[in-house]
Amino acid sequence: MNILTLRSGGDEFRPPRTVRAPKPPKQPLMQRLKDKDRQKFFIAFFVGKLVGVAAFFFLVKTIGPWIIGQAAHASGVKSQDTLGCSAVPYPNTGAVAATQAECNANLVSASNTAWVLVTAFLVFFMQAGFMMLEAGFARTREVVNILVECIVDTCLCAILFWAFGFAFMFGVGNAWIGHSFFFLNGAPATYTLTGATGVAFMAFFLFQFAFADTCSTITSGAMVGRTGFVGDLIYSFCVSGLIYPILGHWVWGPGGLISTVAKPGGTVTSWFVLHDFAGSTVVHTMGGFIALAGGIALGPRLGRKFKRDGGGLPPGHDLLAASIGGVILWFGWYGFNPGSTLSAMDAAGIGRVAANTTLAAAAAGGSAFAFVYFRIKKWDLGISINGFLGGLVAITCPCYWVNATGAIIIGLVAGIVVVFGVDLIEWLRIDDPIGAVAVHGFAGIWGTWSLGLFATGKYGTAVGLLMPGTKTGSVKFFIAQVGGNVIIAVGAFASAFAIMKVIAYFKMLRISEEGELEGIDIHEHGSPAYHPEAAYMGKGLT
Amino acid sequence: MSLAMIVAIIKPHKLEEVKEALLANGVEGMTITEVRGFGRQRGKTENFRGSEYTIDFVPKLKVEVIVPDTDVDKIVSVVSEAAKTGKIGDGKVWSVGVDRLLRVRTGETGTDAI
Repeated sequence: MNILTLRSGGDEFRPPRTVRAPKPPKQPLMQRLKDKDRQKFFIAFFVGKLVGVAAFFFLVKTIGPWIIGQAAHASGVKSQDTLGCSAVPYPNTGAVAATQAECNANLVSASNTAWVLVTAFLVFFMQAGFMMLEAGFARTREVVNILVECIVDTCLCAILFWAFGFAFMFGVGNAWIGHSFFFLNGAPATYTLTGATGVAFMAFFLFQFAFADTCSTITSGAMVGRTGFVGDLIYSFCVSGLIYPILGHWVWGPGGLISTVAKPGGTVTSWFVLHDFAGSTVVHTMGGFIALAGGIALGPRLGRKFKRDGGGLPPGHDLLAASIGGVILWFGWYGFNPGSTLSAMDAAGIGRVAANTTLAAAAAGGSAFAFVYFRIKKWDLGISINGFLGGLVAITCPCYWVNATGAIIIGLVAGIVVVFGVDLIEWLRIDDPIGAVAVHGFAGIWGTWSLGLFATGKYGTAVGLLMPGTKTGSVKFFIAQVGGNVIIAVGAFASAFAIMKVIAYFKMLRISEEGELEGIDIHEHGSPAYHPEAAYMGKGLT
Repeated sequence: MSLAMIVAIIKPHKLEEVKEALLANGVEGMTITEVRGFGRQRGKTENFRGSEYTIDFVPKLKVEVIVPDTDVDKIVSVVSEAAKTGKIGDGKVWSVGVDRLLRVRTGETGTDAI
């Protein structure tokens, strides 16, 4: 019985007791114990239980150590910041590492690990930002659904990323997929494959989990208000467990298809590699295009009239939550970008990245805001939020490799890209309540391509096409940025669209029409976000 | 003596003026409700995320007071003067006959219950 239909007060509302036929008298106990049928049943039942318990213990004995066997590397390993290996014996045997490489792999840098952990916590805090932003831009009847999706999505992502997501993405394997570190087994003390900065393995795992969580939260943006929760769980599983790790492996994994990271002991052999510092492509373009696939597969919310048909974007119900959520995301981005240096030692790099992040966000917020003023003669809040978010998304790829001027230009353009992106999605009759596709997808594309234009060339890449300096390899660099980004965008869209269509075929993607009209909160979650009626206590309405 | 209920739909920011005017004219109680509605000149343009959209139902306040029949004309004009701004959306005032009135605490009926 739905809480909302319970009535308060008095006996007159209680339904009448149903009168059952009287039960036959029980057989006396000794007679029951001697009954042959009962005895046979009892033996079968009891033996079955014993078999079940034995099977459970068998599984625990065999698979258990493999699942939980990996060490947490929390104790025993001495940490220091310089590479004096002879002073760092192995914790159990006291022996000293044989080679410098082996020593490096076990040397945990306390400062680098602390840095990565703090930034991982900031990135995780972006989940709170996403919850507020998405809920604020949606209608009151969709709020509980968004919040539950974000929370469950985070929980699911953590388990999947631990089990096999991290293995697919950062494990050593082939160009398409990694296949080591399943359940984080066999992990060394530090993750050295992206460059030995001495970050403790579990800290690196946490940092990457926070990124995966960000991507899978973005994808729900275009799907709010009408996605059945079972369908949501299934596509969340596929995004966090399959699409994000596998496509991410191509860009960030050791020996990935277009990755700048080589397999251990090898070199990068792909014809072109995609430089993506903190994930404009891997996290945002991917998330945005998966959201696009979902938005197209789902169709618009009921009653939605698009601008070209005389309607428009329905306003958000809580701009306070949305704006604070947006600014929380900006704050979290200070972990997202600077943390991707994976090293507290690269202080100049961290400073440059953080400054570029800020300037791009500021420029984008300003340009979107100013542009829309000339259109509607009002200073619009919603577009200034989406504007600075677009700037943050765009600078995520180039932040390490551009200078401040480049960051500002990238931001200015990103703000305009977001405005036109929102218009385009509306014109295509795709219902995107949060603007996720425009902010993450399109700004992510611009950000990735812009590295090929604005890279200074001083920090390990070729010089960007619009920058001063000798342009050796610049054209290839730009083509690589464009090509790599397109590969990921198309791959993400195609795989997500296929998965959504399959879920839709089994009628699990979209909720029923009455459910949607009643409100997905009541239909899927049984409770409204605002004014849940406390009447069942019998003492008043609120 | 028979009673009437005067109902006025006013602009929300006019509430204080209407309340003071009613109190100054012998009315000792009133009820307000937040409502939405439109009249002949319907529609208002708002905007969200850079696009404009037209809303039909504009937020207003409904004020209800109960007065003796003889005071209806006076109170109607008092309310209408207090609520007027001269621009569209000022609202309407009307009166409805009341059959029965009772004060819950004391049980007084009719005009004594006003």
